[in-house]
Amino acid sequence: MIRIATIADVHFSQTTDGLLRPYWSSLHECADLFLIGGDLTTHGGADQVAALARELSYVRVPIVAVLGNHDYHSNQDKEVRKILEAAGVIVLEGTNTTFTIGAESIGIAGTSGFGGGFAGACGSSFGEPEMKAFIGHTERLANSLEAALSDLKTDFRVALLHYSPVKDTITGERLEIYPFLGSYLFAEAVDRTGADLIIHGHAHHGQEKGITAGGVPVRNVALPVLRRAYAIYNLEKAAHSSTGAAQGSGAISESPRTSCNTAAEISAS
Amino acid sequence: MKAEYQYLVAKLQRALAEDPRVNVLDIKVMMVAEKIHLTGQVANEEHKMAATKVALLVLPDLEIRNELTVLSVGAPAQPEAIID
Repeated sequence: MIRIATIADVHFSQTTDGLLRPYWSSLHECADLFLIGGDLTTHGGADQVAALARELSYVRVPIVAVLGNHDYHSNQDKEVRKILEAAGVIVLEGTNTTFTIGAESIGIAGTSGFGGGFAGACGSSFGEPEMKAFIGHTERLANSLEAALSDLKTDFRVALLHYSPVKDTITGERLEIYPFLGSYLFAEAVDRTGADLIIHGHAHHGQEKGITAGGVPVRNVALPVLRRAYAIYNLEKAAHSSTGAAQGSGAISESPRTSCNTAAEISAS
Repeated sequence: MKAEYQYLVAKLQRALAEDPRVNVLDIKVMMVAEKIHLTGQVANEEHKMAATKVALLVLPDLEIRNELTVLSVGAPAQPEAIID
């Protein structure tokens, strides 16, 4: 079993410094990896990502992240990436990374992703150069995600995005903005190569759980959706399921109570 | 609502998204009886107060009712098993 802690849309600024540290400092007790699905900062300022890097220094497992639209806003995304990498965070964009945990291996392929909408009501690479550029960008990122995923020869494969690949996990958002929340091209790319899990953020008013047409579980881990410091997903092979659940079925596994999963709520305000 | 009010609401919504003191894309802006209501969630009190400042800059002649809530963060829940 490989345990993944994950969050997205923490929108860090200097004023959020210290908010998540009490939870992140004990994350290693219940997770082997920490994945962050974009929007790490409020507007992509170097000072904001430096504040986040200080917070992440309390995390004692490998950290993998993708950037989100907020992280690009100040046109300092290269600097944002540099600061994160100097802090030991692996930042993916059309690339992958692998880990061996115990006797099992896991590969993460990541992209920020982009918009365009979902099957049946999506944009096309047609018309003005700006429209073709919009959809063309999404197509290129989906192709790079597919390539990065198919390159992985690990026991488990996870796709990490900021934008959503499916409609399920953005249900709750206004329909008019669906094209700005993600694209079906990412789900199609993952379904072509196969994966065990897709993680994304971006849709603050969406739902946590969804699934691609090909049956890959999708999880929206944006902080406003989870309202918790992170979610934990335990990846297990059916034959070795510790829960004894039927093959292919998901189940909530009980884990020993640790400081990771106590029910105490601490309000931020 | 008068036609031009829709554009004022849109202008403020954009300002709340684009102003670096707030940068929140999903604050809901409503005009009711010539008062502006801001609803939704923000990360902290500083962003909440900044939203009022930005709103007053954009719409100085209207009363601003800041009904934003600060997101509260809890401990993680029980893990979910994803079985291959």
